[in-house]
Amino acid sequence: MLWIKNGIVVDPKNKINLEKMDIFVKNGKIVPESEIKKGDCRVIDASGKLVVAGGVDMHAHIAGGKINTGRTMRPEEMRVVRNIAGKFRASVGRVLLTAPAIGYEYAKMGYTTSFEAATPPVSSLHTHEELDSIPMIDKAALPVFGNWHLVFKCIEEKNIEKLKALLAWAIERSKGFGVKVVNPGGVEAWMYGGNVKNLDDQVPGFGVTPREIITWLIRANEGLGLPHSVHLHCNNLGVPGNYQTTIESIKLAKGFKNEKRQVLHVTHVQFNAYSGSSWRDFGSGAAEIAKVVNSMDNVTIDMGQPIFGHATAMTGDAPFQFTLHKLLGARWSNKDTEVETGAGIVPIGYLPNNPVHAVQWAIGLELGLLTESDKVALTTDYPNGGPFTEYPYIMAMLMSKKMREGELKKVHQYVQKATNLPSIDVEKTLYEVIHMTRSLPARILGLENKGHLGIGADADIAIYNLNPLETDFSNEFEKVYKAFKVAEFTIKGGEVIVRNGELLKEVYGRTFWVDARKKVDLEVVMQDVKNYFQYYSLQLSNYGVEERWLKKPERLEVV
Amino acid sequence: MIIIKPKIDFEVCVEAELTPELATKSIEEVKKFKVYYGNRIVELGELFEIRKEGDDKKLVLEGDFSRVKWIGTKMVDGEIVVKGSVGANCGAFMKGGRILVEGNADDWLGIEMAGGEIIVKGNAGNLIGCAYYGDAVGMTGGRIVIEGNAGNYIGEKMNGGEIIIKGNAGDFIGTEMRAGVIEIHGSCGFVGGDMRGGEIRIKGSFELLPTFRKTEKGWVGDVNVKGEGVIKQI
Amino acid sequence: MQDIVCTFCGSVCDDGEYDLKKKSVKKFCKLGSSKFAEKERIKAPMIDGKEVSYEEAIDKAVEILVNAKRPLLYGWASTANEAIRLGVILAEKLGGVYDQCASVCHAPGTLATIEEGIPGGTLGSVKNRADVVVFWGSNPMEAHPRHGMRYSISAKGLLVKDRKQRKVIVVDVRPTKTAKIADIFIQIKPGYDYAIFSALRAIISGNADAVPSEVGGVAKEKLIELADIMKNAKYGAILYGLGVTQSRGRDRNVENAIKLVQLLNRTTRWIIWPMRGHYNVVGAGEVPAWEVGYQYAIDFSRGYPRFSPAEFSAVEVLKRRDCDAALIVASDPVAHFPRIAVQHLKRIPVIQIDPYPNMTTLVAKIVIPSAVYGIEAEGTAYRMDCIPLRLKKIIETNYWTDEKILEEMLRRVEKFKG
Repeated sequence: MLWIKNGIVVDPKNKINLEKMDIFVKNGKIVPESEIKKGDCRVIDASGKLVVAGGVDMHAHIAGGKINTGRTMRPEEMRVVRNIAGKFRASVGRVLLTAPAIGYEYAKMGYTTSFEAATPPVSSLHTHEELDSIPMIDKAALPVFGNWHLVFKCIEEKNIEKLKALLAWAIERSKGFGVKVVNPGGVEAWMYGGNVKNLDDQVPGFGVTPREIITWLIRANEGLGLPHSVHLHCNNLGVPGNYQTTIESIKLAKGFKNEKRQVLHVTHVQFNAYSGSSWRDFGSGAAEIAKVVNSMDNVTIDMGQPIFGHATAMTGDAPFQFTLHKLLGARWSNKDTEVETGAGIVPIGYLPNNPVHAVQWAIGLELGLLTESDKVALTTDYPNGGPFTEYPYIMAMLMSKKMREGELKKVHQYVQKATNLPSIDVEKTLYEVIHMTRSLPARILGLENKGHLGIGADADIAIYNLNPLETDFSNEFEKVYKAFKVAEFTIKGGEVIVRNGELLKEVYGRTFWVDARKKVDLEVVMQDVKNYFQYYSLQLSNYGVEERWLKKPERLEVV
Repeated sequence: MIIIKPKIDFEVCVEAELTPELATKSIEEVKKFKVYYGNRIVELGELFEIRKEGDDKKLVLEGDFSRVKWIGTKMVDGEIVVKGSVGANCGAFMKGGRILVEGNADDWLGIEMAGGEIIVKGNAGNLIGCAYYGDAVGMTGGRIVIEGNAGNYIGEKMNGGEIIIKGNAGDFIGTEMRAGVIEIHGSCGFVGGDMRGGEIRIKGSFELLPTFRKTEKGWVGDVNVKGEGVIKQI
Repeated sequence: MQDIVCTFCGSVCDDGEYDLKKKSVKKFCKLGSSKFAEKERIKAPMIDGKEVSYEEAIDKAVEILVNAKRPLLYGWASTANEAIRLGVILAEKLGGVYDQCASVCHAPGTLATIEEGIPGGTLGSVKNRADVVVFWGSNPMEAHPRHGMRYSISAKGLLVKDRKQRKVIVVDVRPTKTAKIADIFIQIKPGYDYAIFSALRAIISGNADAVPSEVGGVAKEKLIELADIMKNAKYGAILYGLGVTQSRGRDRNVENAIKLVQLLNRTTRWIIWPMRGHYNVVGAGEVPAWEVGYQYAIDFSRGYPRFSPAEFSAVEVLKRRDCDAALIVASDPVAHFPRIAVQHLKRIPVIQIDPYPNMTTLVAKIVIPSAVYGIEAEGTAYRMDCIPLRLKKIIETNYWTDEKILEEMLRRVEKFKG
């Protein structure tokens, strides 16, 4: 039992803003005072300190084949030592991190949940083995559907019941959490050396277009009532002028409605928010996109903020990764995966005096500032934009114009004419930034017990050495940044696991997965699956992950 | 000058990042210098006999140091003389000063050397003056001379400095080189793969790759990277 | 039992049929079937040839390992991921060295991946799309007998509906069994793979004039012909083997092949992938990569992982007499390592964990017999293309699994370290 005493609480889901209150924890949950015996509690005196829910990272590449190939490719990344083995595991990595390092670093920062953003369904077991090796946090994985032949076939037949059954089957087999879509149609086009440029381009070999893939998947996802919405990595990522495609894609959500959450989440929008026609007249389309998102009530986005320094581009957007390899002359890995998807990895970096990088950096911030805080979550698309350990940098920047002005002086001046960042006066409040890093991502994902401190929530709590009542967020940005970098206390499921950057206890979180099989008749699609399995290189009976192979699975049943 | 001599035949390799800086310390401090003996951290004095003679910024390593690694790491000045053979990673990331090895040197000699001089009277192993795993640039300055023979992978990703092998060498001399000079007095195998710049001079025989064009300067290439490196027969 | 997963080579065929009465398997090739046939087993744990209990053997093994200054933990390619993970954590806790079979096999591919990346794909992509398959220095008809029919030669797929729609090319130093069934066989001089890859890159990028009339024993015209076939492929695959990784050039050979494939991708689609040997050698590399950042040759003596194949590959460690105890799991280094390495293995205390006796058993001080994954124990393995497959438990046994043995070892080590 835990009694967090007298902290200054910010809990946007429950509309609590800077209230001095006590938080009580029992059996890993937040409980009312009546359920604990104060005398039996471990007391944490949080006087003068900020108390919030543990952070929720709704899009990060933390586990699976492409992350591991990234590590293998980059020993220069793995040479940075963070923790020497002793009571805890050795922990290494610069931006790319080993599994133990990922868990420890999230925990030190006060983050307690993270979602692997894209996993190829056929190698889900690898993703889960890696997730199971990450300590401290709760986790889940999003299987990809946007280039899966089986999905194409259901859409060709215009059979919504088949598609729903397929999704339910696939998400169960992969022990995944929802429907991720990466460059729909484009990765299949890459198998022929091409890509898609337009929502109405025909996918080679199939009678479907990206527009249809996205729309049908939204229909099926909503028909199933899955906790999370379709999670979309738009076509044309990384291409100057692509903001138009992004807006067109966002508008596909029109006509769909969900009481609890968005019907479409568009991810790492910074990479899809470029104006211009080439790298020479490249600029920001962030304002246009923010305007559209703000005008709709059923779409959310996340930033995909670049951080100056090293990074690694790794996505399921295989054709884009090859383009990046050609552009930079950098090392390049690729993985065409059965009939499901692909992936690519390219080492990159962001330099402040590079005009393109500077604009990318500005665009991420523009999106964070111009989009309503109830619609934009904070991410770096780790490790594509940079380390997740710099989320505090982004938080501080969103709250301080002065900090932004200082940073703008250090970057290439092209930012002045190519973006609106210098003229944006918006300073988000602490309440908004906590919403963007806790309650909003939890709502977007459909996790009812995460991202807030209400009764019944998981006791994932972060206490920061920052008195929000006495802090001038506009001017004391250094102090704000430092405070959010290292949580004073991180509590996971009621256990105090980190204090002031020091690991205290190693725990293992749960792996959430969604079971929507009761909402469909699987037989509707199983014959097609069996027939199509001739094109796989393994047996259908050996496809998929059984729950008992996971360390701590937690099944979320959809009824 | 500090003279260091192994006390025993080590059970496993020792990792001792000894530099001439040590010669500026008192003999007590030198004896307490921490080294790795497998997974144990021990004091230099436990494994080695140590004598101090005068104030020269010089280390004399007497005896068989072939299983003592990382000698001369990051050194900036002064001198190290190994009266015997030396272990792997000798002269790693060296910036200045001089290392003389009277016996043989093991792999990874002069990793990413930036300045100074390494002379090996005997033979050297593989990976001389190369970039470390995953790094983009290798040697950028300084001079390495091997009187005897050398192994494979010499001066890979070199961007400056000089490597001279007086005996024979193996394969992959100057792979992905950008600048600097490598000279082989004996014979060797494949040279200049994907080279962009710099010069490789060979006295004996070698294997020219099918990606170099003959000009008056010598063979120019590697055409696969639009390289302007030069390979000369001397 | 249907659809059982084979635990011999990297093909990891998963369509086997196990006959519980006959205790044998159908559909697998000779190599796989032999794995499932009854064989001589190490009967019980032994210390210095004397039978002891599992607990006694593990106690003694741990005593040796914690007191060692640099224990070498080697093998790992023929056991399941669950065991490998414990092996990595054990090496970390002991401050020793973790190395796995790839260091004498396909490690050059990992070094090449560090230099260039690996533009690859799964075997399903080869089966469905590859109209040109090049076996370079690999001989699946002998080393991976069912690979061709399942994935790469006669396998039919989405776009390749007939064997005739695929061109199979073998590049090797002698006419192999695979060469005999290939459409084209190019014989090259041993040791010239690197030069030939360079030549192909030059020809494809418009610099054929720099290429001499013959490279590595192959006439220029033949190389131009090969380059043309490659350029005109719709989807090609280079599947390379030990002919490339264990001959002159090694990692630079693979690196050059990768550069060729990267170049080809500018005008058409190509992938390249190694023909891995042991059924879970991929797991033996992937597990340490996510746990500690590297795939092999990892030293933990400073409390954190350091990667250096030239120093910490098992052969290098043994050659330099740089270890004073060894734990060998599911491997036979005494049979396969060079003499100078085996000499040192004979000097130090060796602990072996394996189901079957082999040459290493003869020098082992402590022998701990384990259950056979895929027959007596369940676990996860990664096929050569990194597709995870679950090994099945078909029959019961009293033997402890590698996982259980290592778990017990780790528990004792953690207790000792406090």
